[in-house]
Amino acid sequence: MLQENIEASFQSNVIISTSRLTKAFGRLVAVNDLHLQVMRGDVFGFLGPNGSGKTTTIRMLLGLIRPTAGRAVMFGMDTAQQMPSILPRIGAIVETPVFYPYLSGADNLRVIGAASGMVSGKANQRRIDEVLELVELHVQAKTSYRKYSLGMKQRLGIAAALLTDPELVLLDEPTNGLDPAGMFEIRQLIHRLASLGKTIFLSSHLLNEVQQVCNRVAILQKGNLIKQGNVRELLRGSEQVLVRLNTLEEIQQAKIILEEAKQRGADWISAIHVQMDRQGQSTLLVDSPKSYSTEINALLARNSLFAAELHPYEGSLEEVFLQLTTPSVPSGSRQGMAALAGGSSAKQQSGFIKGAERLGNGKGGIE
Amino acid sequence: MSVTPQTNAGEVRTESVILGKQSYIPVLLRLIGMEIYKLRRRIMSKVLLSITIIIAILVFLLFSLNTFFVLNAPPENFAPPCSSSSGPSIGQSQPNCPPPSAAQVAQFREGALRSASEPLRLPTSLSIAVQVALSAGTILIIILMGSSAGGEFSIGTVRLMYTRGPTRLQFLLAKVGVATLCAAIGILTMSITGILTGQALNALSSIPQSLDFLSAGWIAHALLYLLIAMLDWFIYATIAIFFGTLGRSTVAGIVGALTWLFVEPILGSILKLAGTFSQGPFGNFLKAIPDYFIGNNTGALLQNQGQYIFGGSVSSLSDLHALVVLAVYLAAFIGLSWWINEHRDVTN
Repeated sequence: MLQENIEASFQSNVIISTSRLTKAFGRLVAVNDLHLQVMRGDVFGFLGPNGSGKTTTIRMLLGLIRPTAGRAVMFGMDTAQQMPSILPRIGAIVETPVFYPYLSGADNLRVIGAASGMVSGKANQRRIDEVLELVELHVQAKTSYRKYSLGMKQRLGIAAALLTDPELVLLDEPTNGLDPAGMFEIRQLIHRLASLGKTIFLSSHLLNEVQQVCNRVAILQKGNLIKQGNVRELLRGSEQVLVRLNTLEEIQQAKIILEEAKQRGADWISAIHVQMDRQGQSTLLVDSPKSYSTEINALLARNSLFAAELHPYEGSLEEVFLQLTTPSVPSGSRQGMAALAGGSSAKQQSGFIKGAERLGNGKGGIE
Repeated sequence: MSVTPQTNAGEVRTESVILGKQSYIPVLLRLIGMEIYKLRRRIMSKVLLSITIIIAILVFLLFSLNTFFVLNAPPENFAPPCSSSSGPSIGQSQPNCPPPSAAQVAQFREGALRSASEPLRLPTSLSIAVQVALSAGTILIIILMGSSAGGEFSIGTVRLMYTRGPTRLQFLLAKVGVATLCAAIGILTMSITGILTGQALNALSSIPQSLDFLSAGWIAHALLYLLIAMLDWFIYATIAIFFGTLGRSTVAGIVGALTWLFVEPILGSILKLAGTFSQGPFGNFLKAIPDYFIGNNTGALLQNQGQYIFGGSVSSLSDLHALVVLAVYLAAFIGLSWWINEHRDVTN
């Protein structure tokens, strides 16, 4: 009985659950055998390179496209049969939102309100004003949509998603076209929505942004789910210790010493990488729990190598993402290049990674 | 942000969100209201409505030119006939006849004026107004509904709408509902404008509008006549919706329906001609095909009602035949639009 209650309680808290969800366009399998689980109150990051199947998944969840196989259950209801009952509980942006160009922002929301089950006329004016103010479009509420900038269009998309105050907010690249201040505001908004108990499903390229707002993530590549879990747990898996020495020779010596220690049985060392930091200086990254920082320091000191800097290295979601989605690249190079790229998009970073690969191949590189 | 629990589905929404009834018909009615609102706010709708009014006025202005010429013609143009074999002649010199008296000229002038101004008065003006609506006006309703249905795909708003809750069938029915309304408004606007313009221009002729024809039966048939005209517009509007949905664009909606509108009578003539040349059952078959065309069947319905309003002959096609054929067309276009919508993935 207790077991049943626990199970029922768990099930009632599952907002999105997909099972073997698959979508193929002819021979191209856009999403393959996807198992996702999003719980009530989650701020769920949905990550993946371009063409990995994120938008296709979102479209399947919203009933815009039909799965080739598998099923999706939202709020305990099967999307194949109960979509009209599911959709009113969702607010969504799918890619760049598009509205009626001949209507103003407020009039577009009025139309969407009517389509979303809200009463027509002036009754919902207060709500329209609220959401426009929330996305800071209240000043341009009566301006024609065709005169909106890309950022303003994106904000109106968010306003439309929040119009009916839905339980689940599904955002596909919500910060596209927004300036840094706009991105910050969206992050704040997501935090605020999460604090109100809303479940957020956020698809984004901006890993830094996802790391800051999401508690759980799923990473997709070529239509396959390669990782799903708690952000903290994912980051814990990438624990490292950063060692900075004065010269390149010292770094190379230190690398040899640590590799020898590993061979001799120091199993707390997983790998050692040489990387360049943002200032272009070489540093050593040791894949090791941060609690072993003292051991690393002592080991180097015994060999007359004194670190100028030694501290646990805070991994980022960006690095985890790159490790998972570009497995052919040595992790040290990835991390170094990720650091170099510093907050840029995954796409931009792949260019840096290629540079790192060349360095790693011994063609004029340090490693 | 204050929140209040909603009774439905245990959802929690902020109190400023006021939801209406969520059963099928109220949702559909709200969607129709939304479609009307969108049309009302579009410049194109206003432009098309203005064009319908202008066309109706222009056509009656053209008809009034005849009255104007008769009014300004010299008296010798209204010479009475010389012999019983020839009827009243206008503008013909009668060298062997005695000059007509002033009373004769006045009588023939009034006869010519009555004949020239006939299209400006009821019931003929109703026929002209409806015929104008069914020719030029059909193009306008096709443009309106083709852009309304296809535009959702062209602009990309279909993605936004299909993720809001109502079913795809409800969205389609809302378009069909608004097409019905537009057909009714359009036909009434063109008919009333035409009739009123005709009445105003008829004042030039000083011939009063006779209301002898007016009876309860006449009004009933006139209303049916207008309803048939609305049905004709509605069918072409659904064709525009169908092609707009099929081709996922405004252009597809407009071009598809216009092609249907213009190709059908040409094809009908070709088939009739081919049927005449090909003797036997095959020829009869070819000649019978146009009996199942939209234009011929709406034409038959109009003709069958027209005999009560304007006189004239009955169509070779019965009302029942025409109504069944048109119902099949409507069911096919709306059904296919629904099927396409239901089974199609909405991508970009």
